[in-house]
Amino acid sequence: MILTIMVERVLRETVQVPYRDLVTRSTGAAVRNGIERAIAEGGCATTLLDFSDVGLLDFSCADEVVAKLLLRTQTEDERYVVLSGLREEHSEAIDHVLNHHQIAVLAKVEAEATPRALGRLAPELQDALAAAQQLGTGDAASLADAVGWTVERAADALQSLALLRLLCADQGHFRRIPLS
Amino acid sequence: MTRVVEVPASFDDKSFDQFAQSFASGDPGQRALFDARGAQWASPYGLIGMLTAAQVLQEQRRERPLFTVPSSDDVRRYWARAGFFRYAAELFEIHGKVPRTKVDDDADYLLPVTPVRASEDVHAVVGAIQERAARMLAGELGLEAKATIGFAMALSEACQNIVEHAGTGGWVAVHAYTFRKRLGRRVVVIAVSDGGVGFSRSLESTQARRFGDRWGDAAALEAAVIQGVSRFRDPGRGQGLAGIKRYLTRWNGKLSIRSGTARIAIVPPWDDDVPMSEDLPFFPGSQLQVVIPAQTEIDG
Repeated sequence: MILTIMVERVLRETVQVPYRDLVTRSTGAAVRNGIERAIAEGGCATTLLDFSDVGLLDFSCADEVVAKLLLRTQTEDERYVVLSGLREEHSEAIDHVLNHHQIAVLAKVEAEATPRALGRLAPELQDALAAAQQLGTGDAASLADAVGWTVERAADALQSLALLRLLCADQGHFRRIPLS
Repeated sequence: MTRVVEVPASFDDKSFDQFAQSFASGDPGQRALFDARGAQWASPYGLIGMLTAAQVLQEQRRERPLFTVPSSDDVRRYWARAGFFRYAAELFEIHGKVPRTKVDDDADYLLPVTPVRASEDVHAVVGAIQERAARMLAGELGLEAKATIGFAMALSEACQNIVEHAGTGGWVAVHAYTFRKRLGRRVVVIAVSDGGVGFSRSLESTQARRFGDRWGDAAALEAAVIQGVSRFRDPGRGQGLAGIKRYLTRWNGKLSIRSGTARIAIVPPWDDDVPMSEDLPFFPGSQLQVVIPAQTEIDG
């Protein structure tokens, strides 16, 4: 099951301002609290945070809404957060704050066909993620085959991607985070 | 008895120290008279600097300061259109004729003088400026559309510093004008000022020990602007100024922040400012200025 949360709607419901901009830390904290409540009530493994209709996103708000949410959900088993509806400038702000925290998230940026990771992800893991996304499902051997690595190296990469919640992994097998 | 605070004839970040010196001099118990009769021009930094000084006196429960308006009709009109007198009337006892001119929506004032006291004010500032900023940055300064977003983000982060750290309200203004002396190009200038606790007091509890004898206004500015530290222990803090610096690097802009007796600047190649100035005349709170120049082929 996937829970889709329209971030702009949470903004309107939580903060009584007539703007679509996600700015200031206090606004970000209020919106994150609203998102966390929705996630807790929804009980779904995957949450799609949809940024369509959000205007400006500043660094402070990106930190409060996205980075802090990820830092909290990463401690919970089988919880995945994926971002969607991002404009390029949203993705830059989010990438900046996630780099600061040395974490990453899977995101669908407008006009891009496939999701990509924002934040800090080693080039080797980026390669592994791209290949795994393309394969859809598989195991360390199939990933190793796809990227031309040893099985051990591919297994290590899969474990790292699973810890970062960029892939679903279970007993040696992986699958893309389901988005529909 | 009154003490006279001289308003520089050309009042910008360069002449601010002269104003601060005059503001800090004399018996603080005496009523202050801000003498702007000789003023010929003021940048947004100068305009909100005067309001900050008056606000400080108000918060210290000093007698309401006097203000003599500029002799020049043009200057009075410019200041009125920039929104200065709307708030000056609340803080000063004004002497002289103030034009009834409305606060202007013309292109030179991207944002008239605006108070910033709470998070909602930052929302209002960002909401109000985006369309005009897009028009001006692209049309007059030759910046690509992407620059407008970064500009609004920088403005948002600069205003938030007041809400998060000053412990009191402050002011913001954004103007566009030609920087004849230093650059010979059009620029957009964001000025943000407050009369609050300043960087040194804000960071003292978490940073002073680390700097030891060096601790003071300059060390506090260095910690915040260069090292990105914040008074909050939250590891996500300090990214606002980092974001502003990132934006200015991309668009060849300049950042300067004055607090207490020191001033730090991130200086682009087109300017000859010094990175750090110490032992300046004391002025309360902090004053931030961002300058974004029109792009040339050299800038790319």
